[in-house]
Amino acid sequence: MTLIVEKASVTYTNPDTSKDALPVHALAEASLTIPRQGFVVALGASGCGKTTLLNAMAGFLRLTAGSVTVDGVPVTGPGPDRGVVFQKDTLYPWLSVLDNVAFGLKLAGFDRPKREAKARELLALVGLEGFEKSATYQLSGGMRQRVGLARALATNPEILLMDEPLGALDSLTRETMQELIVDLWASTKKSIFFITHSIEEALFLGTEVVVMSPRPGRIIQRYTLDFVHRYVAARDASAVKSDPAFIALREEIRGLIHQTGAESDGRHLLARAG
Amino acid sequence: MVDISLLALAEGAAPSAWPRRALRNAVARRGVPITLISALGLLLAWFLVTQFKLVAPLFLPSPLDVARQFYTVAVDGFSNATLAQHVGTSLFRILTAFVIATAIGVPLGLAMGLNRWVDGMFSPPIQLYWPVPPLAYLPLVIIWFGIGETAKIILLSLAMFAPIVISAQAGVRSVSQARIQAAQSLGASKAQIIRHVVLPNALPEILTGLRLGIGAGWSTLVAAELVAATKGLGFMTLSAAQFLVTDVVFVGILSIAALATIFLTVLRLLERRLTPWKGQE
Repeated sequence: MTLIVEKASVTYTNPDTSKDALPVHALAEASLTIPRQGFVVALGASGCGKTTLLNAMAGFLRLTAGSVTVDGVPVTGPGPDRGVVFQKDTLYPWLSVLDNVAFGLKLAGFDRPKREAKARELLALVGLEGFEKSATYQLSGGMRQRVGLARALATNPEILLMDEPLGALDSLTRETMQELIVDLWASTKKSIFFITHSIEEALFLGTEVVVMSPRPGRIIQRYTLDFVHRYVAARDASAVKSDPAFIALREEIRGLIHQTGAESDGRHLLARAG
Repeated sequence: MVDISLLALAEGAAPSAWPRRALRNAVARRGVPITLISALGLLLAWFLVTQFKLVAPLFLPSPLDVARQFYTVAVDGFSNATLAQHVGTSLFRILTAFVIATAIGVPLGLAMGLNRWVDGMFSPPIQLYWPVPPLAYLPLVIIWFGIGETAKIILLSLAMFAPIVISAQAGVRSVSQARIQAAQSLGASKAQIIRHVVLPNALPEILTGLRLGIGAGWSTLVAAELVAATKGLGFMTLSAAQFLVTDVVFVGILSIAALATIFLTVLRLLERRLTPWKGQE
């Protein structure tokens, strides 16, 4: 499956405020391709339209202009072909860990033995064997995101959309989770679209990294990378992250983000004054 | 509690410290001891005030008199019925009204939360009558439904209905967009979202509504039994008051308090059992 975003724009006009209020360009003419087995990472500060872009891909919102297509078919709404892992915890506390993971299969009409077998398998895959009967609210943040990941995988989507899934985790848990996600990506051969505001995370995970900038939310730079392939081959995360090329690129992107952030802030203020 | 203190002693804790520590531990574990101390303190104050005749028994009978009267009412009865009969009558009214208010209130509240047409239709009358004390619309209920059992049960149902409806509606509204989106991205249809996400998500609020409703019911009981009742705790208390039998008034008040507390406790236990995740997130 290939997901293509073409010149996607999302503009909000706030009907409640006074008439001279400016429309908000949450996303301006963003184009992006998630190829088969690609790992595309969107990187940027808050308010740069990353989540808007993901919501458009997931089908949670309508574009003002442009299109999102999966294998040429326009996306008109959410569907089980595109699994979503959310930033906020969206597990259902009234269901056990196992039932949360099996939820998508239950919706699809699979009988209990079948969906539970599949859910057990997925829980083992994300390293949560033995927690099947646990309550979700008794798990740590990292474990909850593992459950969220297993739940999104249950309906066997070819594309996974991940909205800052590691944003709320401590840095140690975060690194473990990065490695888990890479392992899953390499073993299941899914396509992944992943949002983060951590430059290091983006470089470590992505086969392609798009840098985004706010006001209007847009893509300002693209990089094609192979750090993740190097990790998959040698399984040494710290070697990859301390590679001079990795560090140089990290600093380059840091500069880029700060520069455009300051620029667009200035432009924004001028636009208001004028 | 005793076991733990002994253990502390055996481990060599300073003997002078252990009772206080045991008490503190017990308090930390559960709120019960503090509540118990408060209740016993109140009882003691009551006893002392009456024992030293600071207040005439007509205004405040002693706890012993009330206990004795409790026994008399239970065995010989008051106003042509024993305590058990009064309790039974009131329980029947409250429970019938509760079943009616729940059976109509919960589905209506859910529908109001899901559909803005239903909401627009039913919200104004409910919001309007909710703050009105039941005693104020009691005459109307009597004019419409007579002085029989129907009017009493309708009055109680009305008092319970509003909090139950409003809570069920709030429960539906409280579901987060992200939880719905998660279900959508797993392929859920609209009906599946309602069944598997919105309803379980609303359960804590629904149960809170039932608790508020039962509370409102008990506090309306006396009003409901004000007119043309021959049995019931509210009636018993009122007629005792008319004859200035203050100790029976106390028996009535304490019985209502005890029953209401039992009801609320049962509902709270039910909440903990059915929605253990409440407040954990």
